[in-house]
Formats: sequence, C-alpha cells, structure tokens
Amino acid sequence: MSGAFFTVMKYLIVIAFLFILYSMGSALFYLSRDKGQSSNTVRFLTVRVVLSVVLFLFILLAMKMGWIVPHGLQLKPSG
Amino acid sequence: MSHDITHDELSHDHDHKPKGFVNRWLLTTNHKDIGTMYLVFALAMFILGGSMAMVIRLELFQPGLQFVEPFFFNQMTTMHALFMIFGAVMPAFVGLANWMIPIMIGAPDMALPRLNNFSFWLLPFAFVLLAATFFIPGGAPAGGWTMYPPLVLQGGQNVAFLVFAVHLMGISSILGAINIIATIVNMRAPNVGYLNMPMFVWTWLITAFLLILVMPVLAGAVTMLLTDRYFGTSFFNAAGGGDPVMFQHIFWFFGHPEVYIMILPSFGIVSEIIPTFARKRLFGYVSMVYATAAIAFLSFIVWAHHMFSVGMPLGGQLYFMYATMLIAVPTGVKVFNWLATMWRGAMTFETPMLFSIAFVALFTVGGFSGVMMALAPVDLQYHDTYFIVAHFHYVLVPGSVFAIIAAAYYWLPKWTGHMYNERLGKIHFWWSAISVNVLFFPQHFLGLAGMPRRIPDYSTQFAEFNMWSSIGGFAFGLAQVFFVYIVIKTVRGGQKATAQVWDEAKGLEWTIPSPAPHHTFDDYKPVDLSKMAHGDNH
Amino acid sequence: MTEISENQYYVPHKAKWPIVACVGLFITVIGASLKFNSLDLEPTTPWLMYLGFAILIVMFFGWFGEVIKESEAKLYNKHVDASFRAGMIWFIFSEVMFFAAFFGALFYARTFAVPWLGGEGTNLATNVQLWSGYEPVWPTNGPADLNGRFETISAFALPLVNTLLLLTSSVTITIAHHALLANDRKKTIIWMIATVLLGATFLFYQVEEYIEAYQHLNLTLESGIYGATFFMLTGFHGLHVTLGTIMLIVITIRLIKGHFKADNHFGFEAVAWYWHFVDVVWLGLFIFVYVL
Repeated sequence: MSGAFFTVMKYLIVIAFLFILYSMGSALFYLSRDKGQSSNTVRFLTVRVVLSVVLFLFILLAMKMGWIVPHGLQLKPSG
Repeated sequence: MSHDITHDELSHDHDHKPKGFVNRWLLTTNHKDIGTMYLVFALAMFILGGSMAMVIRLELFQPGLQFVEPFFFNQMTTMHALFMIFGAVMPAFVGLANWMIPIMIGAPDMALPRLNNFSFWLLPFAFVLLAATFFIPGGAPAGGWTMYPPLVLQGGQNVAFLVFAVHLMGISSILGAINIIATIVNMRAPNVGYLNMPMFVWTWLITAFLLILVMPVLAGAVTMLLTDRYFGTSFFNAAGGGDPVMFQHIFWFFGHPEVYIMILPSFGIVSEIIPTFARKRLFGYVSMVYATAAIAFLSFIVWAHHMFSVGMPLGGQLYFMYATMLIAVPTGVKVFNWLATMWRGAMTFETPMLFSIAFVALFTVGGFSGVMMALAPVDLQYHDTYFIVAHFHYVLVPGSVFAIIAAAYYWLPKWTGHMYNERLGKIHFWWSAISVNVLFFPQHFLGLAGMPRRIPDYSTQFAEFNMWSSIGGFAFGLAQVFFVYIVIKTVRGGQKATAQVWDEAKGLEWTIPSPAPHHTFDDYKPVDLSKMAHGDNH
Repeated sequence: MTEISENQYYVPHKAKWPIVACVGLFITVIGASLKFNSLDLEPTTPWLMYLGFAILIVMFFGWFGEVIKESEAKLYNKHVDASFRAGMIWFIFSEVMFFAAFFGALFYARTFAVPWLGGEGTNLATNVQLWSGYEPVWPTNGPADLNGRFETISAFALPLVNTLLLLTSSVTITIAHHALLANDRKKTIIWMIATVLLGATFLFYQVEEYIEAYQHLNLTLESGIYGATFFMLTGFHGLHVTLGTIMLIVITIRLIKGHFKADNHFGFEAVAWYWHFVDVVWLGLFIFVYVL
C-alpha cells in the first residue's frame, strides 16, 4: 500500500471526526433552541454516539488490516 | 445556608437598595451595582496603569538613565500594558455592558446574576495577585505583556503568579461574556427583535463571542508556559522538539481578536452618541451590524501579521498581508457611516459628542498606521519600534479610552441623576485631545527614525521628540486626574438630570427616571418600540 | 416560598457563594504559586493550596445546593431555564476552545516545528548548524533527546479499552436520557449508575496508563514535545472526566431523590451534554494522539 493510501485513510478518519463534531454541535443548538421540549437534542446525540461507534470500529479494522499504522513513522532507533 | 425568599424580594415596586457595604456591594446581584463596581475598578486601574506610564515617560524625558533601573523600567512597560488591557479597558466595557444592556433591551437584570457577581469579584483578586509580583524575589514580569518565551520564563518567581493572574482574569472575562450572550439572546423584551437592538448591544454581542472563542486559548497558552517553566515540558523549547514561535502563534490567535474586543464596544458607544447629538438616525444601521460581524470574523484569520519579522514562509506573509488589509473595508464602512450620520445633522457639541468626534478622527489615524504595518516588507522596518507604539496607542487611547470617557459623560446623568459640569467637561476634552496628540504623534517619527520600543535609554538624536512626547504624557495624565475630579463632583451633586437628559436621544434608557431606579423592567412585557432608535426595523 | 409567574424573572439576592469562590480560587493559586516556586527546594506540603481546594469544594456544594433548592421551589420558570441553557452551551464551547489550544500545539509541532528542526523547506541551515543529524520522526523528544529514550503507549492496549469504556458510557447515558424522556425513572437511574461505573473504570485505567508510562516506558512530562502534548492533552481530559463523573454522581443522586421530570430536566441535560463533550474530546485524543 502506497503513501497516498495512508494519507487518504488519515483524511477519512479526520472527516468522520468532523461529522461527529457536527452532530454534537447540532445537539447543542437544539439544546438551546428547543429548551428541552422536543427530542431533537437527544436525537442528534444518538446520531453522534452511533457515528462514534462506527468510526471506532473502522479504526480497529483499519489497524488490523494495516491500512493505518499508529504514528505513521517508526520510533527512532535509540537516543 | 440559604435564606427564605420573602414576598418582599419578589414584589414589583420595591426600590430599596440593600443596606450596608457587604449586602450592597459584596453580595450584590444587581446589574447596575455590579456595573458601577466594574467602572470604579476600571477607573482605579486606569489611574494605576497610568502612573506606570508616567514613570516610563519620566525616564524617557531625556537620554541616559535618570530615575529608574532598566530592569524596573521593563517591569513598568509590562505591567502598564497588563493593567491597562485587562484592568482598565476590558472591565470598563464590561461595566458599561452591565449597566446599559439590560436597560437597553428591556430586561430586568443580567441573565445569570450570581455569575455576574463572581465575574466582577474575580478581578480585584487577580490584580492583587499580579501586583504582588512587585514584592517577590525577581520582581514583576518584565518580558513584555505578550509573555514571549523564553524571555518570560527567565522571570524568576513571578511566572506562576503571572499565569494564575491571567487565568483568573480569563475566567472573569469568559463568564462575563457568557452572561452577556445569555442576556442578549434570552432577556430581550418580547417585542424587541435582533435588528431593533441598539448598536452598543450588537457590538457587545459580537465582542462576547470573540471573548468566549479566544480567552480559553490564552489560558491554554499560559498554561503551557507554566508547565514549561516548572514541570519540564518542551512546548516552547526547540531542544525538546517544541518551538518558541509556536507560543507567538497561539498567543496572537488570542491577541488579535483581543484588540477587537477592546475596540468593538467603542464602535457601539460612538454609534449611540453621534446620532443623539447630530439629531439624526444612525446612517446604515444594518451595514454597521454586518461590518462589525465582518471585522470579528476577519480578526481570526490575520494573527500572524504580528509576527512578520519572526520568519514565516512567503505564502504565509502574502496571505496575512492581504487578509489584514481587508479589515480596512468593514472599518471604512463604519467610519463613513458615522460621517454620513453627522452630515447635515443639527449638531451640537456637548462633551460626549466632542470625545466621539475625536474618536472617529484619531482612531482613523491609528487605523491608517495599521494598514501601513500590514505591508509585510515595510513592517520589517517598523517592527518593535516606536511606530507600533504610536499605532496601538492611537487606537487604544483616543480610540477605546476616549469612547469610554464619552460613554461616561453620556450616561453619567442617567447613573447619578446629576448633570456633569459642561464647562469642566469641555476643558477636560480639549486638554486631553491636544495632549494625547502631543504625546503620541511624535512617536510615529521616532519609530520611523528607528527608535526601538521597550528600552529605558536612547540615542541623542531622538531626544527632542521624546521630550515633547513626555510633556504630552504628563499633561494627558493630569487631565485624567481632572476627569476623576469631574466624576466625583457629578456623583456628589450638580444640576438635576431629567429622564430624557439629551433632547432627541433615543433608547429605552431615556424612558426611565434619572438616576435609574435600582430595579427596572421587572415584568416580561412588550416595550414601546417607538422609543428605541431602531424600533421600526424589521 | 412564593411561586414565580411566567412574566417574571427570578433574580436571587445576597449571593454569598461567588465571593467564597473568589477567596477559594485566590488561596488555591497563591498556594500553588508558592509550591511551584519551591519545587527545587526540599519537599513541602502545599497546605495553602489544599485549603483553597477545600473552600472550593464547600463552595460548589453550597452554590449548587442553593440553585437546586430554588429549582425545586419552582422559582425557575422557562425563561430562567433558557438562560441556564445558553450559559451551559457557551461554557462548554469555551472548554472546546481550551482543548483547541492544546490540539493546535500538537498539530503545529507535528506539522511544522519538528519537520523544520529536521531541515524541511528553507530550514536546512537550522538542521545542519544547530541540530546536525537530527531526524524528524514522530514521536520525538526533540533533537537534544530530552529525558532519554522512551516508548509510547500502544493504541491497541489500554487506550483501546478506554475508548470502548467511554463510548459505551455515552451509549448508556443516551439510553438513560431516552428513559427520562419516557418518564421511566427506574430505568434512568439504572443506566445512570452504569454510566458512572464506566466513567470511574475509565479513570482507573487512565491512572494505570500513567503509572505504566512513568515506571516502564520512561515516558514522562519531560520527554520532549511528545511527552508534553501527550500528558497535557490526556491529563486535562482526565481532569474533565473526573469532574464529569462527579457531576454524574450528583445527578444520579438527584434522580433517586425524585428530582427532574420528562419536561423539566435542565440539570440532567447539562451534565449529559458535558459527558458527550468529554467523550468526543477523547475520541479526538484517541485519533490524533494515539492512532495517527
């Protein structure tokens, strides 16, 4: 697998993380706007939890398959 | 632990102020009393920070070392900045916000009154902590208010005190900003829409967002300083893979929005005062709102123009240069709107109006020298010279401070129930306006000729302009002592003010008696929109 | 006590806790400053700092206790509730920005500072003259090899377990949230207790991880920029989890005492939201500190 592939994988993870941030932000927005009256807040929080779990499973899979290598570069030999 | 809530405390018509110092001031939840405390605190810090400036100008009166040690001189420049920024200008604006915003939007008080008390009382503690550094081994911080490492980390024992003082000020600012947002968003009278709000309220809403976005970043930056100094981390240490320039990036990500935090509320104040004394509507209200928002947005993407001389890739220099110059556009919109408001108005020149007009003229001078320094190639010449000192003092002193003084004269009758003495006010204005230019204008020439900032001694070629600058400085300092006298005199007595105070002035604050009762707008009900300057917007 | 009508706004009087909070904070930071400045001397116990903490703890119970009492006395109408919501949202937002400063430092170090020390771009002279032979890899303790060789915590070990724990806890709190909306108090309490336990277990493993890092991996705060960013990010996160767990415990106790209703539960929502916030920060940490 080439360097470009690793880069794409990294960006994929970062983008998924941004989606999680977005759904959390939406929950925040409805927390304020609906003042606890509707289920929008809890719905977006549920979306964010599901997204988080999916991303987590994906990271697990990616590490297992060698699509990403933790810390990209190897530990330097010795100091 | 708690007290019983009596019917009395919930009733509408009571105007009794709590008795005794502790009840009235220490435990208060009243937005007007807290606003007063903020303003008094700011005035005290202004005088204290100003006396440090006097030491600086005294030492620079002539070349050579006359009065103070160089190390003490450096403490003076650093502490002068910290006291003025975090102790005088910012608390003064928060004080004005506390006093005026609930009244201006028809709210009974700030949204979170206990928190409001906490925000204020943190400040005296923070400044005791900061001032205490004068008396510890190693003295007060002397590395400049920007706290650049590694210099600031060599400050002996004061680093911890400095960092914690900044933390306390930061908590105070963040909680204050949260309160202001909650108030504006949630506490407007039912028929007051966002586009009915006075300009001062709008500018403060946007300022509060800036505060919440950047004060925590400053807290993070100084926390890294703290651990670098005491716990061996390497955030700003190249030997450990860190970078001192990283501090500058994080600091100015806070620092640039911070300078707008110190000017946007002034824009709001001036936008209140000029229409009153020009007896015209504010020209281009909606464009003023958008311009304020645009300035706030741009403030986040220009920070590295403070760092051109530290070295950065060419693309970075070009980007930050052009982005910075872009700020002149919304700022220009504002200046032209003020001019258009005055155009063919039936103008009178009471003291608040004089200070506001001086604000427009002199802030623009500071703005122009800002555009000059935005040019990356020439900034290498101006960087860390007296030119930058002249620039930011022009936007901060005849900018922010003049606006605060204008606001004080404008609303003092509402706060105290007494008119200030107009003749003394005019003397104060002309005295300040002339001396401030004698003080800061020569510093442009000094900077262009190459005199560096933050030094206690200089080459003899700079002697003449420095002498002028110092004379202007002493005169300006004395003028502000005179201002304190005028304020005290007004508080103690004077001609009774009417509810309207200024003829033609619009805004809900002029519909309540002078002095403003302890509680206003107790019921959540519609207000008379025709009394508001922009009540007919929709 | 009088109930308050919809067109009034409850303004408390005689707020004594803010000034107690100021004094507590002041004593804490003075104690901390004195302690920090004597770190190099013989070890001392920072009694002043502990006194400050004690005052702060008393203050929190007092302040929030008063608010809870007022809430149960029906002094807060919808209007006050909205103010609390706005306050909580912007408070959490400020916390996000605080973490942003540290994530920003991590990003800057990895993207700019370390490669530049290695001579990237126009910085060849820096590398050759100052740090000849330094290879810019991540993780690093810098060209001076500060604190000696170290190893990193493997993302597959404790961090994986911790991620699982926190993610599960955000699932359980969401179930509790749904249960509260459905007015099922017993279910809410059970899932809240599960959340508290998960949070506490997370903290336990986080401490284990630090012990492991210090005792076996030679990874400490002083291990250059990696050690600094690693411990400051995870440390501040751990602090927030601790506070969040305490808040969850308080909310659970309040649920048991019969507080909150399906249509009136700001305290619950605020804490749930705070918990989601620390969970997302952890996810960011897991991705940017441990994995990538």
